[in-house]
Amino acid sequence: MACGGCDYWEVDVYPIAVRVSRVSWLRRLAPYALLTLVLFLLPSQLSAQTDAREIVDRVDRLLRGRSSRGTMRMDVVTAHWSRSMQMRIWSLGTEYALIRLLAPPKDAGTATLKSGEDMWNYLPRVDRTIKLPASLMGASWMGSHFTNDDLVKESRIIEDYDIEIGYEGARNGVEVWEFVLTPKPEAAVVWGRIEEQVRQGDLMPVWARYYDDRGELARSITFEDFRSMGGRLVPARMVIRPADKPTESTTITYLDLEFDIALDASFFSLRRLQSDRGSD
Amino acid sequence: MAARPWWRIGWRNLGRNRRRSLITIAALAVGYFSVVLLVGWWDGVVVEMINNGTGILSGQLQVHSAAYLPDRNVYETIGGPDGTDVTAIIAGVTADPAVEGAAPRVYGGGLVSFGNATTAAAFLGIDPELEPRVSRLMDALSSGRPPARGTNEILVGVEMARILGVEPGAEVVVVAPAVDGSLGNDLFVVSGVFTSGLADLDRTFALLPIDALQALMVLDPGRVHEIAAAVPDPWDAPAAATRLHSALGATDGALAVESWTDLRPELVEYAQLSQSFQWVLLVIVFGMAIFGVANTMLMATFERRHEFALLLALGAAPRGIVWSVVVEAIALGAIGLLVGAAVTGPVLVWWHNAPPDLSWLVGDFTMAGALVRPVLRVEYPWSMAVQSALALFATAALAALYPAMRAARVPPADTLSGR
Repeated sequence: MACGGCDYWEVDVYPIAVRVSRVSWLRRLAPYALLTLVLFLLPSQLSAQTDAREIVDRVDRLLRGRSSRGTMRMDVVTAHWSRSMQMRIWSLGTEYALIRLLAPPKDAGTATLKSGEDMWNYLPRVDRTIKLPASLMGASWMGSHFTNDDLVKESRIIEDYDIEIGYEGARNGVEVWEFVLTPKPEAAVVWGRIEEQVRQGDLMPVWARYYDDRGELARSITFEDFRSMGGRLVPARMVIRPADKPTESTTITYLDLEFDIALDASFFSLRRLQSDRGSD
Repeated sequence: MAARPWWRIGWRNLGRNRRRSLITIAALAVGYFSVVLLVGWWDGVVVEMINNGTGILSGQLQVHSAAYLPDRNVYETIGGPDGTDVTAIIAGVTADPAVEGAAPRVYGGGLVSFGNATTAAAFLGIDPELEPRVSRLMDALSSGRPPARGTNEILVGVEMARILGVEPGAEVVVVAPAVDGSLGNDLFVVSGVFTSGLADLDRTFALLPIDALQALMVLDPGRVHEIAAAVPDPWDAPAAATRLHSALGATDGALAVESWTDLRPELVEYAQLSQSFQWVLLVIVFGMAIFGVANTMLMATFERRHEFALLLALGAAPRGIVWSVVVEAIALGAIGLLVGAAVTGPVLVWWHNAPPDLSWLVGDFTMAGALVRPVLRVEYPWSMAVQSALALFATAALAALYPAMRAARVPPADTLSGR
């Protein structure tokens, strides 16, 4: 939906205006009444949209900070193998991120750099950097259930989706919002719809569900183990489960996190991707 | 009156108007020649299409783990995670009398990168010695040579080479997710570039030595996805698949043996469609010939109505007259067939062995997803040659029946008195 307020014009305001105009003594007042009505209704509708957007944005920024640095473990379980990776991450805003594998030893040094819409992988074994083509954005990142797109496009959720509050109230005794994110018509996104539950009290996300174009659940993410890290309350563990493979999952556990550290855009360079000297 | 004189009368009548007889014979001969040659050409196109559709890459017969197709799941190797004795299976497949050769294959997917260019690729791990017995992809090199076993070499399609900007000798990065979850990556040297003419192959396929791809994907040497086999006569492949199914002990459901007719059903449908088209052609050509022959015979019998009237007046049976005319037509057919076969045979042999190549005129084209060269190679259409011969006789006899019956009903007295 491109214009949140437009629906009100067409559905509600018009019948009222017609009713008003039938009453002759109100006729002169009608324009003012309409104007008042519009002024009253339109902003409230806009603000519902803005509020939802603002909350989702705040949740997003809360977890990310202006900049961040941390260590995380990623445990991937598939039908054929399980592996655990440890990695160091740096991020600046939503535009820049650098992720470097620390373990297992075979993959240590492998790194991913995200800069805007672009993504590079550094492969220490062959000492080469590869820029990922657009056609591979939907492919798995490091064998996990995250896609390359998740890393690149995550930042654009606020811009690419219309956000509405689908439910507001108590779930299991906790006051929550449930947001429904629908892609804007012009947005080039992979999901048909995203639903996200956020606790009202501390703005902590509880789960997110991703639906495909046909409206079928494709995957879900649950957020767990809320604790204070780097001075903020964050979900220290995220579990992603593909809907079509119920036995598989990817779990990300933050081991340490710092926020709002001194980092600037020049840190996220191809040179840094290839060499971790001085990057801590 | 016995039948013998009617035969002689029918035969001798051919010589009465030789020009007309020759023209009719020529019409039948050309009809026969056209049908047999067109069908031979069309069979040639279908065989070319099947050979290209199966011979460039897939082979006419394949052995997989039963769970491998259609998703081509990289974990589903023959014999499961423990692999199998690849040499034994290849020996088993090659032992079948219809199979000419067999080769093991490993499939993977990933990236090929050179400089700033990166492209997604489908990797095919092949045994450089065995593979040429099954597929022709490695024959279609536009530069360089096939990858050698035991080396990190890669053979890429011409379009991929263009996208990456590589030539033989270039060092590229190959990245492929391994079956242990790690990201296999290594440097490979481009050994050559192939041009298959099929856009998908030329853009996305890259051939690596099977051992190199197995190492990249952390697959043991005993783990392969496919054994592909060549069956020189593609129509023998389904029966060979059935034989191998029991010979390889695939009855427990772990192995799948499939012929190209299972893997490429659209090619089978196309072949069947073209066979029904052959019948349409036969009916049209001889349908036209019927009227030509009937016209000749009507003229001939009209001219001879005095003779028929005299014979009838002398007590000849009308059945005999019918017989003489039909015999004449069958004799026409026989000569037409002899002439037709005498012309068709050498042309078939010629164009089977040295087909006219029209590539200079129209270039290569693809049909049902298979590359077809516009080479007018004919296959020997044995069954159609026999069917056409029968159709030719039926045409001649049917076309003579009406004029013969009219001749037998000539009123003797009126005709002889000139009324």
